Amino acid sequence: MVHALHEAHRVLNADGILIDLRPAAVHRQVGMEKAGQYQPLSVMRETFADDYAANRSVAAIARQGLFKADGRVRFECNRTMDSLAEFRTWLDEFVTLGKQPSHSWLVRRVEQALHAERAKTRIVVRGSLDLRVLRKSTPANRSVGTDQR
Amino acid sequence: MTLRIDPEQNEVRALKQVANWRGKRVLEIGCGHGRLTRRLARLGAQVQAIDPDAALIRLARQGLPLSFAPRVRFHVGTAGRLKYPSGAFDLVVFSWVL
Repeated sequence: MVHALHEAHRVLNADGILIDLRPAAVHRQVGMEKAGQYQPLSVMRETFADDYAANRSVAAIARQGLFKADGRVRFECNRTMDSLAEFRTWLDEFVTLGKQPSHSWLVRRVEQALHAERAKTRIVVRGSLDLRVLRKSTPANRSVGTDQR
Repeated sequence: MTLRIDPEQNEVRALKQVANWRGKRVLEIGCGHGRLTRRLARLGAQVQAIDPDAALIRLARQGLPLSFAPRVRFHVGTAGRLKYPSGAFDLVVFSWVL
């Protein structure tokens, strides 16, 4: 990860900006939406080891003086799905790619909730994304991380 | 498949909040099937988008509206070895990569 950040620094111009966009280390909430009304159902049990490792990489690159943190925006990013099959497909991929613990219990819970509903219901996964802004530091504007002691 | 990601467009609002994208040279790393790429192009950016997965890059190319074609290029590539000259971009976006 640190190497990737070095590469990003190289290809940016002197005033360049790095945008680090990724899920916040906050548990996602799964719920049902019916007639525009959202009802929470359960909270996922993700692990955040990769997120913490990424945070450490960004902090390391800042300490090296290559980038300077220039703000962060956190916003909600929802996913909506029309069927249990779609939810299962999304969850399988999420668990596999993210090396997350099994959430088969959540599939069962969503299935039960869908059976209990009569009207058209959507499955909604609510989660937060963090958008971090890192401004490229150059020898001219570098103020931290250049101490050569 | 009717999976919809961010139907409220909160991501676009956040992107607009942190930068002016119009006419900017942008490298998107980890573009996947190009969902964010299309949003960046809609904001007026000139986007080079890379992903290590060739199948996803094919999907991204197929899903790109013709109107965005002049300002978007998709390539197979990885963050650790960027095939671009130094100083080539105004913005680099790590899209769920780190």
